[in-house]
Amino acid sequence: MLGRDVRSPTNEDMGHIVDVIVDRTGTVRAAVIDFGGFLGVGSRKIVVDWNALHFGGVTDKSDSITLELTKAQVAAAPEYKEDKPIVVLGAAGNLQPLDEH
Amino acid sequence: MVAVSPSRDRVGDERGAGTAGVHDAMPPGTGSAGRGQGPSPSPQSLRGLDWFIFFLADVQTGFGPFIAVYLTTQKWTQAQIGLVLSIGGVVGLIGQMPGGAIVDAARSERLVAGLAVATIGFCALSYAAWPIVPVVMTAATLHAAASCVLGPAIAAISLGLVGPLRIGERLGRNARFAALGNGVAAAVMGTVGSLVSSRSVFLVTFILAVPTLLALSTIRESEIDVARAHGSVPREAPEAKDTSVVQLLCTRPLLIFAASVLLLQLANAAMLPIMAGVVTTRSSNWAPALIGACIIVPQAIVALIAPSVGAKAQIWGRRPLLLIGFAALAARGLLFAMVHDPYLIVLVQVFDGITASVFAVMIPLIVADVTFGSGHFNLAQGIVGTATGIGASLSTVLAGFATDKFGSSTAFVGLAAVAMLGFATIALLMPETRQGRY
Repeated sequence: MLGRDVRSPTNEDMGHIVDVIVDRTGTVRAAVIDFGGFLGVGSRKIVVDWNALHFGGVTDKSDSITLELTKAQVAAAPEYKEDKPIVVLGAAGNLQPLDEH
Repeated sequence: MVAVSPSRDRVGDERGAGTAGVHDAMPPGTGSAGRGQGPSPSPQSLRGLDWFIFFLADVQTGFGPFIAVYLTTQKWTQAQIGLVLSIGGVVGLIGQMPGGAIVDAARSERLVAGLAVATIGFCALSYAAWPIVPVVMTAATLHAAASCVLGPAIAAISLGLVGPLRIGERLGRNARFAALGNGVAAAVMGTVGSLVSSRSVFLVTFILAVPTLLALSTIRESEIDVARAHGSVPREAPEAKDTSVVQLLCTRPLLIFAASVLLLQLANAAMLPIMAGVVTTRSSNWAPALIGACIIVPQAIVALIAPSVGAKAQIWGRRPLLLIGFAALAARGLLFAMVHDPYLIVLVQVFDGITASVFAVMIPLIVADVTFGSGHFNLAQGIVGTATGIGASLSTVLAGFATDKFGSSTAFVGLAAVAMLGFATIALLMPETRQGRY
């Protein structure tokens, strides 16, 4: 999973996966994607809901993963920081705190 | 200070002598004694230095931005990548002064530079071939260590070739070719990285080490005066007082300048990254292109005006240019706080180009001024390099904190205030360091 390219349904570059977030039961809840920027400058880490990702081509290592969101939605989401509560960007473009169950 | 002045006066005379014929007894062209007469390096050596600096920009800085992306694709976790980048940062900081000392001690600056380039080339190759923890950690350490040697080595080769009288002009030319190299590196590596793979960027770096070394080999060893390259002058008898490291560390202008360079980096280093983050949030579709422009514009300005900065430093002196550099930085911080149009932000980056041009030339030039006659030119560069590293690290931490707490506009105003403090430091404390008659 790590390092896999993420694209929008219209095949725009949406960054790549740098981490996954699981809850206490070990269920995967969300992915952290590194989005935007140029040559590493100005990129932001955004947490997106696992259900917003589609893994159609996951067996082919060079294929990308599809994210059901627009660039504007991802760009406006708050940045993922290790010392802050996690906010997840849902498949409908809604923002909600990650509930710990 | 009193103890220094007799030799300083003589030093000033030597510099001022120029080609006035004081040392006519020496055969022309040898120049190896490093006396005040203008050395005349061959055009071949000077062009070799141009191209060495140009290609080195690709080799030294080209693959840096790709390390995180590449290691992620090799299934490295964020914590591991963070560790590798921190190791590089720490070695790059603590290695500055030893790196300078190595260059001061070297009998051949060219050999030191060549070994450092070869080291970086093989580091890049190891990243591509074996992305496993021990190899990558070693490569990151060696890459940072080699970079600590290369900065001083370039300035030392320049000073050894042209001597203190024409070093301003030469440093301007160095900055031009470094900026052209950086611009081409960003374009080439960016294209290769996105079209082929992030791994191929490391292979391109390894291949580019070859023309870098070829360019270095065209600089004639015999024309690099070793004594001159270390900032020393030949004396009848060694004067322990004037050439000790302790005395260097007590040189007031050097310490004031190092402090102002720390303030420069404290104000400057975080500015573009924070702005780029804001641009990514505001303009998602055009953000990469706009950020790319924000990186290229200052490089283009440096390539354009750095040689004039070098020439003006000899005519106006150093202080007016330092003040311009800090004023441009403060203006940029304030404009970033106020301007919200992402296209205007690219225009504001012209100020970045002005600041970068001034300091690319002024840092080695002023260090050469204040260490002239000491033989510790490169160690002193290491001291200023350490100040650079501390300032840049603090900048990222403090401005990142300010952005999280108070928003980016407040952070930019804070960075502008630090730049004004740098301006005041130069205006109130920094003496003019230009010496000799021109």
